[in-house]
Amino acid sequence: MERGYWIRSKPLYDSLVWKQKATGHVVIAQGEGGIAVLKLFQQMCPREPITLLFADDASTSKNYADIIHTLVPEGVQICDSEQAVLDKLQAQLPNYLMGTQFYVAGSEAFIWDVLAELKVYGVQDINVEKELSGTLARSVYCVHCKTTDRDVHHSIHQCSGCGRHLFVRDHFSRRLGAYMGVMVDAEEPGNIPAKEEIYP
Amino acid sequence: MSILDVKVADVEQVTEVVKHFTLVQENGEPLPHFSGGSHVVVSMNINGRIHRNPYSLMGSTANTDSYHISVRKQENSRGGSKFMHEQVKPGTRLQITYPVNLFAISKLGHRHILIAGGIGITPFMSQIADLNRLGYDYELHYAYRSPEHGAFREQLEEMCGKRVHFYIDSKGERLDIPALLKQQPLGTHVYTCGPEPMVKALHLHAENLGWPENHVHSEEFTAPPVGDEFTVELAQSGIEVTVPGDMSMLEAMEEAGAEPPFLCRGGACGRCELEVVSCDGLIMHNDHYLSDHEKAEGRSIMPCVSRAKCSKLVVNL
Repeated sequence: MERGYWIRSKPLYDSLVWKQKATGHVVIAQGEGGIAVLKLFQQMCPREPITLLFADDASTSKNYADIIHTLVPEGVQICDSEQAVLDKLQAQLPNYLMGTQFYVAGSEAFIWDVLAELKVYGVQDINVEKELSGTLARSVYCVHCKTTDRDVHHSIHQCSGCGRHLFVRDHFSRRLGAYMGVMVDAEEPGNIPAKEEIYP
Repeated sequence: MSILDVKVADVEQVTEVVKHFTLVQENGEPLPHFSGGSHVVVSMNINGRIHRNPYSLMGSTANTDSYHISVRKQENSRGGSKFMHEQVKPGTRLQITYPVNLFAISKLGHRHILIAGGIGITPFMSQIADLNRLGYDYELHYAYRSPEHGAFREQLEEMCGKRVHFYIDSKGERLDIPALLKQQPLGTHVYTCGPEPMVKALHLHAENLGWPENHVHSEEFTAPPVGDEFTVELAQSGIEVTVPGDMSMLEAMEEAGAEPPFLCRGGACGRCELEVVSCDGLIMHNDHYLSDHEKAEGRSIMPCVSRAKCSKLVVNL
């Protein structure tokens, strides 16, 4: 980690806060993103219609689905998988109009899966509120064989496509929703540093 | 700055107050390609004083044989639009800058709503050529004062078909901006060019209805307003320039032999931004480039349209 140095493509995530000016709100969350949703509903609730799509995950530390059900009176749709949430979102997106504000919380891979769905309808990622929850796991794109591995916790990471040992960079592709992974021993074959868990 | 020498090939009176000029390159060669929404800055020598005004290119982007600009005669013109209307005839030689685009159609948009007020229709004429070519989804809403002021109406009906809507003020027809914005699907971008109150209203309604700023585009060229005479000191060269009340600060500096940077000359692009070293009075910001915060800070000035109410302004040039 170099002080004062920053890869500008690396996304920054914030805490979810209701946007004051909107004609509707759509909150999409997954797993540990449940805590971000609960924090959001601790704030003064907007008057405009709210839709909440939540992908329940049995492995989370708390039963967020139940708490959300108790706390949020209407507009809640709980699904049992991330894919089910993405399918629901895809089906509902044509009905939303300009002025709808989107909020996403969960793992980075989930956030960018949602943003990819929104992009199809011309919603730019910069205009979506995003909170990273639960894990720093990365999706890593191998620049050599073009395989993307999800849930990567370590750098150095061995690519599931070509077996190369990849150094995980901070360079991020918004299109792919993944960080760049480059062969670490290209110049000195066999000289592979020990892998470290830096994205728990 | 690269300059093109052009000759006026044709002048057409479009309405009582609007003239349409066809410009061709003096050497007979094709003009540079441009994208929809581009403008050029026309230099005019008016009694020895150089005036430079930005005008939108309104011809088809596919046509490089000629450029087309339209000029509305301004009631309190500083001379530019009056000169174009009264002095410029077929055969007149003019100098223009290469086209610059500060008002392009967003390629990220899925639908495009264009809102024009009066002479603000001009940049949309070339944008529509682009939109038609690309097959993009768009609508044009064109508001003007009275039937005789509806410049290019027939041409627009031909170009846009059912996509164009007209609003004639004298007939009590009004464009309901909030109603229009409320019913747009995700991915819509809105563009406006016209009188300042209309541009301001659009930005305000869009913000209140939750439209992200980057989906709202506007172009507004301001003519440099007249004001009081003041003195500018150029800190690097030590030159002192008096800015008369009817001249812009940029023009006065150019007249004194300085070569400050510029692009749009209408307070839109930010190219001419100068650092203010000191000012013993008030800066009168007239641009659309600096944020309200930056204007309040007073560390920068856009000399193309802004001036000062002071005895001496020192800038880092």
